[in-house]
Amino acid sequence: MKSRLRKYIGSFGLISMLTVAGCAGSGSSGGETASSGDTTTGEDVTQISFIHWRGEDVDAFEKIISDFESANQSVQVEMNTYPSEQYQSNAQQMLRSGSVGDVFAVFPGSQFEIMKKAGLMADLTEEAFVSNFEETPIEVGQVDGKQYALPYQMVFNMPVYNKDLIEAAGFDEIPQSWEGFLAMAKALDEKGIAPIAIPAADIGVGQFMNSMVMNNSEDGIFEKLGAGEASLTDEWWVKTLTQIKELLDLGYFQDNPLGTQQDAAMALVARGEAAMLATGSYHMSSLKELNPELSLDLLAPITVSEDQKRYDGIHTATFMLAVNENSEKKEAAKAFIDYLSQPEVASYYANETGQHLTVKDVTYEDESLQNTAYWLSEKETRFQPRYMITNAQVEKAVLSSIENVLGGASPEEAAAEAQKIVEENLQ
Amino acid sequence: MKVSKSIYLFFIPGAILYAIFFLYPALSAFYYSVTNWDGISPSYAFVGFENYVRAFTGDSIFMKAIGNNLKFLLFVVVFQTIVALVFAMILRKNSKINVFWRALFFFPTILSSVSVAFVWSFIYDPNLGLLNAGLEAVGLGQLQQGWLGDESAAIFALAFTQVWFHAGQMLIIFVAGLHAIPNDLYEVANIEGATRWQTFRKVTWPLLAPSATIVIAYTTIQSFKAFDLVFAMTRGGPNYSTEIIATYIYEVGFRSYSFGYASAISVIFMAIIALITFLQFKALRSGRVNY
Repeated sequence: MKSRLRKYIGSFGLISMLTVAGCAGSGSSGGETASSGDTTTGEDVTQISFIHWRGEDVDAFEKIISDFESANQSVQVEMNTYPSEQYQSNAQQMLRSGSVGDVFAVFPGSQFEIMKKAGLMADLTEEAFVSNFEETPIEVGQVDGKQYALPYQMVFNMPVYNKDLIEAAGFDEIPQSWEGFLAMAKALDEKGIAPIAIPAADIGVGQFMNSMVMNNSEDGIFEKLGAGEASLTDEWWVKTLTQIKELLDLGYFQDNPLGTQQDAAMALVARGEAAMLATGSYHMSSLKELNPELSLDLLAPITVSEDQKRYDGIHTATFMLAVNENSEKKEAAKAFIDYLSQPEVASYYANETGQHLTVKDVTYEDESLQNTAYWLSEKETRFQPRYMITNAQVEKAVLSSIENVLGGASPEEAAAEAQKIVEENLQ
Repeated sequence: MKVSKSIYLFFIPGAILYAIFFLYPALSAFYYSVTNWDGISPSYAFVGFENYVRAFTGDSIFMKAIGNNLKFLLFVVVFQTIVALVFAMILRKNSKINVFWRALFFFPTILSSVSVAFVWSFIYDPNLGLLNAGLEAVGLGQLQQGWLGDESAAIFALAFTQVWFHAGQMLIIFVAGLHAIPNDLYEVANIEGATRWQTFRKVTWPLLAPSATIVIAYTTIQSFKAFDLVFAMTRGGPNYSTEIIATYIYEVGFRSYSFGYASAISVIFMAIIALITFLQFKALRSGRVNY
């Protein structure tokens, strides 16, 4: 009997160890480590580590780093990139030791909040290079008047559209009301073109919600939601879900939106089978690669009447550059950010990567960037509401309510289910 | 035979490694489960069993994840065991062609889970995927679905991928088990006039019980840990319909920065696996026979 008991205890112990080792890990470790430089390499050469998630920008950064090293012979930059999901989850752990990520990129929203709370970002307020950036977009990197991170990219998180298809459907101007948007979608649908391709299996829901909510809610609504002062069952969110359901019921999304990933949605737009791609400006260059004949621009569905419209679209100042507070090489790290913020360097980066930037006096030579640059100066855009949700579980509940509606649930039911999860996470 | 006490010295390296890689993380997980540590900050507070209470009384997604995990587990254990057993019976003889087929079945297990996830995501794609196109081609177009985008189908689509990925390993275990059964017993059954089904029920299955115990226990643990496939293919969506405990632990710990709470869920998770594995061992042991 005793022997059997010992066996059970032994088995339980072994399974326990295996499970917990696999699932929880130790608190002192975590995240993938990147090889970082020693303090110096060779005589009086400081090697800094630069970590980020933009694998597609590596070629452009390699050229920039090479030029930087030529201009600053006492500094070398070692760059490491990580997939964005992995970066979002693990960057904090990597940065804690201070040996990696002397310069690092940070997402606005929950990651910025947690890094600020953990004291990982150095105060850059007094640095001269801050004045190289446009004043308003970089506010997202500020806390209590101090600049902790400098957003480098300006992204428009709203549908990219095929201008030729919209014009062929009889619309020379983009509709400025919900009725107008539905009429345009109907015209496209009647021509056998899916009005909106939404990759709801991955990023689509998170992007499309921004345009849909921008005129339906007051500014700061998600801060209020996080503070328990607003509810997803209120009119602003139920109306947003209702309009998404309306688009679904009218067949204005492609078939099976919840099963569609971004590559498939992009293929539909590139082949002219769908008119809008519900992601963002960052996909314009990829679409042009798939089909160089495409003539593209950006639009956001206006969900209210024309006289109630406050915003034309959505923007996000992202890829925020920061210096690791735990770094022993802060001066070299700041020199690198200073270099990145020079107009000619930023212009090279913008044109090579197809991104609008927050740096002043950037020259856009890329055709898509030129054609959409008017969004930077002429349009009223709202900062991406999703990034104002600082609790990842609340964010997931909000996005899941859209998935619930796309799966067939009623807006009221989906909103109530999501609000329950929000409340559980705010207790 | 008298064993020198010095023999215990040989256990020391193993014991040290066990303590570092298993014991310490396990105890750490329990320690952090009674704190409110966010996983980053240098400071945290002890909150007693608050995290455990929250898991059972104030977290509907955790409950949903347990339900999803059980659905996934049931499908994988039943389907994978049957598939592996049937093919093991068919391919039990060591002919060249059987060895080739066994190797083919085993092949998926050598692939990386991320590449399997990528390939199956493409197969399941409702617009461009091979599955819907195949159904259409054979006149079963009415069965076409969004697969990973359909809340009721997604967890089973993932479970099917898991079966495809791991059934080959189980097949090899069953083939080894079948080879261990003495031929005499089959000859006796034949002389006695037993049917094929009777032979399977009275000879093969009871003597395969040790192999089945391993297969089912291993499949159970694998199903609970199916983080990589689920994360790469659906990330728990749509609308939490494929959220399993492992993905939820990741979400809570590494995206919501509630490391203390994630540790508490891990400890509960461990207890669930231990309990199910214990019950399985007990049930399968009771069915074992020796001839």
